[in-house]
Amino acid sequence: MLKGIIVLLVFQFFGECISKFFELLVPGPVIGMILLLIFLIIRKSSFPSLDTAVFLHLRYLPMLFIPAAMGIITQIDVITKEFWAIFISLFLGTTIALIFSAKLMDYLTSKTEKKS
Amino acid sequence: MNFEALLTYINSTPLTWLIVTLLSFKIGIIVYEKFNKHTLLQPIIIAYVLIMSLIVLTQTSFEEYFKSVEIIHFFLGPATVALALPLYNNLKYIKSLFVPILVTLFVAGVFSIVIAVVLLWIFGAELPTILSMTTKSITAPIAIITSEQIGAIPSLAVGFVLITGMIGALFGTIIFKLVNVKYETSKGFALGLVSHGIGTARAIEIGPKAAAFSALAMGLSGIFTAIILPLVITLFLK
Repeated sequence: MLKGIIVLLVFQFFGECISKFFELLVPGPVIGMILLLIFLIIRKSSFPSLDTAVFLHLRYLPMLFIPAAMGIITQIDVITKEFWAIFISLFLGTTIALIFSAKLMDYLTSKTEKKS
Repeated sequence: MNFEALLTYINSTPLTWLIVTLLSFKIGIIVYEKFNKHTLLQPIIIAYVLIMSLIVLTQTSFEEYFKSVEIIHFFLGPATVALALPLYNNLKYIKSLFVPILVTLFVAGVFSIVIAVVLLWIFGAELPTILSMTTKSITAPIAIITSEQIGAIPSLAVGFVLITGMIGALFGTIIFKLVNVKYETSKGFALGLVSHGIGTARAIEIGPKAAAFSALAMGLSGIFTAIILPLVITLFLK
């Protein structure tokens, strides 16, 4: 598993280095993710120690956002002041986005299927 | 016996808040599983309430709390890299519907950000809130690091991500039925695109095809948004 963890850390490290060096606006870990994806595509498969390391990181993924999420206690003023705007944007926005995405995908899928 | 030394230790070691955080999440998982994995009882929501109460009760500042549990926050980086593997495993499905997937990813991905931002703007929200809303449809680890990048408020961003995920998981299937969505793959893709991981958990219940397309949408939109968003925002704000 150590090999898998090293792979994850090294890819993140390279991602961050590339982001800094080329002054990219894309966050380093996302570049690391893209690099690992390319690596896996070229290699054509994963390997057991990487599988284990990935499982370890993703199994409790939601727990990793708790520290950042707790900052919400510093945002109480913003939330109370803009409550309705946030509420409408989240509920209405998400509903409309779900309908739009699913219908668009449906339309494009049926068009592709007719062609073939 | 030195009671004072004991108190000083408890107050100063990062272990205290680390244990509280891990334990609260564990309690969250137990409750979530007891109630048949109800969407509203996400382990993180239960952990949130427990930790929040303790922070308020002990009058700890967010900065103090964050410093103690910073090691947990650190793992967001490698966890984001790790997301490449599930995306790789689902990448084979991309070939079957290549054009629909790419077009929906791009058009619907942009549309869902624009609609949320426009609604906020109409109802008079301020810029930091609007920026924090732009990452609401991507998986939380990428949302956190991207929101830091674009000058949004990460904690608001995570909150919006969680609520967007739960709305999709709670109402997704009803909405799809109301508007007559035909293909299982469309349902899955829309859930993953709009409601990331929490939506994907729901897509698993629709079927294996929906689950695969949901995971695919979540991975692709995470990358797509993290690349495009910082570019668009710097162009607009400069």
